[in-house]
Amino acid sequence: MPDPSKIKFLVVDDFSTMRRIVRNLLKELGYVHAEEAEDGAVALQKLKGGGFDFVVSDWNMPNMDGLQLLQAVRADPALKHLPVLMITAEAKKENIIAAAQSGASGYIVKPFTAGTLNDKLVKIFEKLEQSPA
Amino acid sequence: MSDFQGMEELLQDFLMEATDLLSSVDNKLVDLEKMPNDNGLLNDIFRGFHTIKGGAGFLNATELVTLCHLTENLFDRLRNGELTLTSEIMDAIMDATGAVRHMFDALGRGVLPDPAPPELLALLKQALAGELTQKTDTAAASTAVTVAAEPDWSGLLQSVTKVPNAVPVAASKQADAPHPGMPPPVALNQPPEQIIQHAVGRRPSDKPGYQGPPTSRREGEKTRDNTIRVDTSRLDQVLNLSGEIGLTKNRLNALRNDILNGNTETDTMAALDQAVGQLDLLVSDLQSAVMKTRMQPIGRLFQKYPRIARDLARGLGKDVELVLVGEETEIDKTMIEDLSDPIIHLIRNAVDHGVEPPADRTANGKPTKSEVRLEASQQGDHIVIVVSDDGRGMNPEKLKAKALEKGLITDEEANAMDERQSFNLIFLPGFSTVEVASDVSGRGVGMDVVKTNIQKLSGSIEIKSVMGKGTSFVISLPLTLAILPVLLVELGDQPFAVPLSMVREILPIDINLVQEVGGNAIMVVRGEVLPLLPLTSLLGWSAERVPEYGVLMQATDSAFILAIDGFAGREDAVIKSLEGFRPKGVAGVTTLSNGQIVLILDMKELLSGLGENRGVPRSSFITEAAAA
Repeated sequence: MPDPSKIKFLVVDDFSTMRRIVRNLLKELGYVHAEEAEDGAVALQKLKGGGFDFVVSDWNMPNMDGLQLLQAVRADPALKHLPVLMITAEAKKENIIAAAQSGASGYIVKPFTAGTLNDKLVKIFEKLEQSPA
Repeated sequence: MSDFQGMEELLQDFLMEATDLLSSVDNKLVDLEKMPNDNGLLNDIFRGFHTIKGGAGFLNATELVTLCHLTENLFDRLRNGELTLTSEIMDAIMDATGAVRHMFDALGRGVLPDPAPPELLALLKQALAGELTQKTDTAAASTAVTVAAEPDWSGLLQSVTKVPNAVPVAASKQADAPHPGMPPPVALNQPPEQIIQHAVGRRPSDKPGYQGPPTSRREGEKTRDNTIRVDTSRLDQVLNLSGEIGLTKNRLNALRNDILNGNTETDTMAALDQAVGQLDLLVSDLQSAVMKTRMQPIGRLFQKYPRIARDLARGLGKDVELVLVGEETEIDKTMIEDLSDPIIHLIRNAVDHGVEPPADRTANGKPTKSEVRLEASQQGDHIVIVVSDDGRGMNPEKLKAKALEKGLITDEEANAMDERQSFNLIFLPGFSTVEVASDVSGRGVGMDVVKTNIQKLSGSIEIKSVMGKGTSFVISLPLTLAILPVLLVELGDQPFAVPLSMVREILPIDINLVQEVGGNAIMVVRGEVLPLLPLTSLLGWSAERVPEYGVLMQATDSAFILAIDGFAGREDAVIKSLEGFRPKGVAGVTTLSNGQIVLILDMKELLSGLGENRGVPRSSFITEAAAA
């Protein structure tokens, strides 16, 4: 497990309350470094600026949605290694398939607790360590 | 006790953001009625319900999640072209947003919302099944209600991740089974029938006569929220300025030490001068920057009105479009809240009384669709808000006759009234022009309250109306209530502050121009007869000297000359209210640049204290020199 305090997150959601919820949950788990973006387009700009280690993104957003963001990240040689955890309110199988096919590192359904989030993060980090990019 | 112990802040954030979101959904729904096939609108509305649902889940507001979920599904089918928007579906959706708002009210009181009325849920379900459309598409309907039972996600994801090269960073093998500790809200994974069962089962006592939640008047909304949303760039500016003030303070400290040590060379004094000048500039910049954080675009207030206007117009069988102009105009936050009810009332008034029924409009050669405009703009240091309609206009004679009939005015008063004064009759308590009070505009309570509320904000309201063309209500408000430009007047060497907005002009009192009417001193200024009132007599002081100056002041409906001894200039007063006690006629206090405390006078209250007997004899203005 990497040191939680050294990982910088980008939390992407168009609903600021939700960004705050996610950041608070992350903070509870010791991940204190997080920045926010209000849609995929803003997120991509920030990611291109560098310095981020992990993306937690909502699915349904204006301008550029979470799936488009995910695809853009995977298509960018400089960013494609970034873990992306998708958050959505929907437990629809089409969504899960689309996310998995586009290269999501994980998928979490709202609402969730810090415990659930931690499980997902731990799994993603384990996976990363097994197969370093 | 609150159902949200430990989550109050989150709840507040959610409510503030979600309420805005819901208002914008409401507006988009009104637009959608005009353009039922606009995919952008359908998408936006879908996302609105979706977002509210997501947030509600974290608050454990299951019933809100259920309702939003159903509505969101409906929009999903609409945007995918599987359903066509009919007026029946539209009504169901409108009811749903009303119910969501109702639930927000419950959340605002700190309780988990009750289930939506079963009729509404049934209606939404029906709509979802395609049974609310005229031409039912049976094939689509059968799939519509099939919300799949919980899928085997882990198996699914695993099967997907096995596809070679499909997933660069694959999820783990054991991936993504739902966490046992926190199952998704029950409603999501149940067929709608069960959702309704669930809802009904939870609250069998639900009133069958449920009328749908009130959408236009929200009593529960009275609780004022004490938070404010500020553009970060504005906060940054405040931070920046306070930092610079800190630096200037350091500079001043250093200079002070120099001077205390006897260094009073020209350079030092010049530097001191410069530092003080800089501080002056920075502080006034800081003041205006802080003030700006209180300014909010009035659009946030405006956005809830189109829906209200639409509902009203529909109820009255009228076709009305509410046009919003100048939503970006900024206004002090406290004023936004206090303006809400008066504007609602003016819009209701316009839709109910101002605008004619379609048949009358056609008969008069007007388009059947009428336009009510809500406009905001900044004019100098005032914000002007106009509510106008293109309806029948107001008939001054009819208004006078009505006021006479109700005994609100006398014959003589009626005869002396010009058009403007006749229009203002509608602001009298107890005045209503419609014979049968409708449930829309109420029973003549309101217009007087509108005026009082506007006046409480130091504003004014004016009516312009042309018969057959329409009526406009023009509200004029100061930019902010926190800073009041005042004129400092003196009695002896005691200064008092009077609101500069009331001051029309300043003139010397020349005893040769002072006349006496009915024992009261008056002055005629350019043909206008004005009572001459010494400030001493308004305050109940004994006059120690003869006032030499007059301030021509304009109160709401009368003008007068305030007689005083002298002036001490003008200031932008920061009003401090007097907590606990408030002497009659004193609006508050402010501190002058020299540290002196000055009372800010409430002229209206001082004048009302005088009653009928407000004048003083002419002799009060005769100086000894003049008498000699």
